[in-house]
Amino acid sequence: MKLGKDEIQKICLGGLMLIGLLYCYFAMLLGPLGTGKAANEKKTEEFRAKITAAKKELKQKQDMEASAPQHALVLKQINALIPDGSPVAWFPVRVTELFKQYGLDRTTTRVTQEAPEKELAGYKRLTWGVEITKADFAPMAEAVASFENNELLAEISAVQIETTLDSIGTQRVLLTVNNIVKQ
Amino acid sequence: MALHLNLFHEIEKQKALKRRDPLKLSMYGIGLVAAGLAGYYALQLASAAATASELSRVEAEYNKLKPQAEKAVKRKEELAGEIKTSETFVKRIEGRFYWAGVLQHLTEVVPGEVQITKLNGEIASDAARHGTLTMEGISAGAEPRKVAEDLRRNLIDKFSPQYKHVAATFALLDDGKEGVRTSGQVMPTAVFTIKLTLQLLEDEAPPPPPKAGKKAAAGKESML
Repeated sequence: MKLGKDEIQKICLGGLMLIGLLYCYFAMLLGPLGTGKAANEKKTEEFRAKITAAKKELKQKQDMEASAPQHALVLKQINALIPDGSPVAWFPVRVTELFKQYGLDRTTTRVTQEAPEKELAGYKRLTWGVEITKADFAPMAEAVASFENNELLAEISAVQIETTLDSIGTQRVLLTVNNIVKQ
Repeated sequence: MALHLNLFHEIEKQKALKRRDPLKLSMYGIGLVAAGLAGYYALQLASAAATASELSRVEAEYNKLKPQAEKAVKRKEELAGEIKTSETFVKRIEGRFYWAGVLQHLTEVVPGEVQITKLNGEIASDAARHGTLTMEGISAGAEPRKVAEDLRRNLIDKFSPQYKHVAATFALLDDGKEGVRTSGQVMPTAVFTIKLTLQLLEDEAPPPPPKAGKKAAAGKESML
């Protein structure tokens, strides 16, 4: 079959219309639809990740809540060991009374340093110098043992014991004590 | 044989030409393709609608969870603070260094021929709790230096089971200027200073060395 000029023109026109149709279809319909769909899928994935993270946070909180009463109890017990008021008012008195029970009357307790506790928010460390001017070794050792057993928040960081020349058999004792108190 | 004459051939030719009109045929073809594309678009549209619906569902779920998660984060921080404080307290209390035990060991280990005249003890606040005891004293006996040496050895033996890395060294060991009367006899003396070092816990393990490959690579880079 031989196509005439008129028919060739019509075929070309049809081809152009098809190309136009395909362009409009992909550029104006399918393209934006696909872009929107991909954006929605991306957002969905982001929200899913956020939901997973939020659920993880909730789970962690639940786990921590489960162990919290135990820690709260420990903190309550520890806080109960620290009397209210300025430590200068109660700590030297407690030390003096404790050492007095072991016959060590000449005890002087002075605060020498104060520093914040970085690991313990709301608490600070006080360093005390406890001086016993005249002490027998055995009662002094017993008093130290009693002090260490009773004062859980205090720790003796240094001990200095010297024989005194004025009284044979007795020593001068200087204890450096670190104590944790509320800020 | 009969002769057939088609007197309408021109009309039929016109009809045939009209039937295979290229424009009409291409319009049919375009129509078919358009229908296919429209069907595919409808499918895509349905899929996009499902995605949008899923997005709105997930967003709604997240919006519901978000305030709860924010509260949880705040509560977690509070709880973490409490837990850390509590654990630090427990660790500190359990890791205390007890001097009463040290003093007890000293009373058990120092013999009658030795008098400790001065004792200085310090414990560091590091993780291993390194401690140092410096003892100054006088030993008496037929061999006062040997008495002091026995004390040094006994200190190590006594402290070793309870503490780690116990070492005792003489910082000073010298003859005393004066003698001491014991059991009716004047005995020579020696003055000594013993430094006893110990630690409550083992040292923390050092961090692992970098891998050989990395080291070699770093070496090559530096060479370049």
